[in-house]
Amino acid sequence: MRTVVTAIVLFAASSGGCSGGDVSREVGARCDTARDCDDRCLPPSNDFPDGLCTLDCQSNGECPDDTRCVDKESGVCLFTCNFTTDCSFLGPLWKCKEQNERQDQNVKVMACVGD
Amino acid sequence: MRRRLVTALALAVTAASAQAETSSLVSGPEAPDQDEIGDQAIGADLGVAGGGRVTPGGLRIAGHYLYQMSRQDWFDGTASFTYGGGDARCFRDRMDTFLCDHGFTDGGSVEISANVRRVFAPRGSFHPFARAGIGVALVRFSGDDVSGLAFPLHAGGGIRARVAPGFAVVAQADVQLGLGLFGRGLGAEPQLGMTVTAGAEFRLR
Repeated sequence: MRTVVTAIVLFAASSGGCSGGDVSREVGARCDTARDCDDRCLPPSNDFPDGLCTLDCQSNGECPDDTRCVDKESGVCLFTCNFTTDCSFLGPLWKCKEQNERQDQNVKVMACVGD
Repeated sequence: MRRRLVTALALAVTAASAQAETSSLVSGPEAPDQDEIGDQAIGADLGVAGGGRVTPGGLRIAGHYLYQMSRQDWFDGTASFTYGGGDARCFRDRMDTFLCDHGFTDGGSVEISANVRRVFAPRGSFHPFARAGIGVALVRFSGDDVSGLAFPLHAGGGIRARVAPGFAVVAQADVQLGLGLFGRGLGAEPQLGMTVTAGAEFRLR
């Protein structure tokens, strides 16, 4: 019985390491249309290379961890960063740039956007 | 990935086989008579299947045809249906790889499987049994328009109790390990799930 349990655990471990990294249908996945996402697709453009699944928002509380509500596209959740290398998981064309928060546009936040 | 999958499946099957042999040796002289449900029976059960990623889960309904092959061993032909949630859970990651991350009770399937049930010595009015087999299943995740063909191996066990002449109730659980072939660029994906069901069996003759 122990062998069976061990085999199952090994199998589960070997098959579980494929979750897409830090991105999901909620925020971060590639997209062309909203059908590719849980909520909203920012289609491929210079601002959002390869497209970006994200959530509409008006305040930071509506965004998942590691994202902030940025004053672009009427308010969307974007990944926060300190340096451009923090955005490299999104692709080579993404940069870390200063943006206005949606809720208080006098507050600046560093977020990943396109060139 | 494929080598690890094959190794895991081989380990599971070997271990289950060894355990069945050990149990039969222990129970040999006290092996049960199966006349209480004749040598053919049909059954139906209802329960829950758990999956995840690209293994379907949800409500499980199954029908069984049982045929006695030997004093202890029965053929158990099973047709089962799994009805789970239909939310979209697949996406393209930043490398443009199509991935699915379905929950424990998402998706649906239709499966037929051929199994062998080995019944051990009764314990009171209960007849424990082990069960192993192989199936073929059509799997679908409607929210993502993802379909595939899966080949799960089953291993598990249960207990049967006679409640009236020719009528018994059964509870059983099993795990499924296998491989699924899916469209939309997913390709070959491992299948790993479990099922817990309860039902009834009726003597045919």
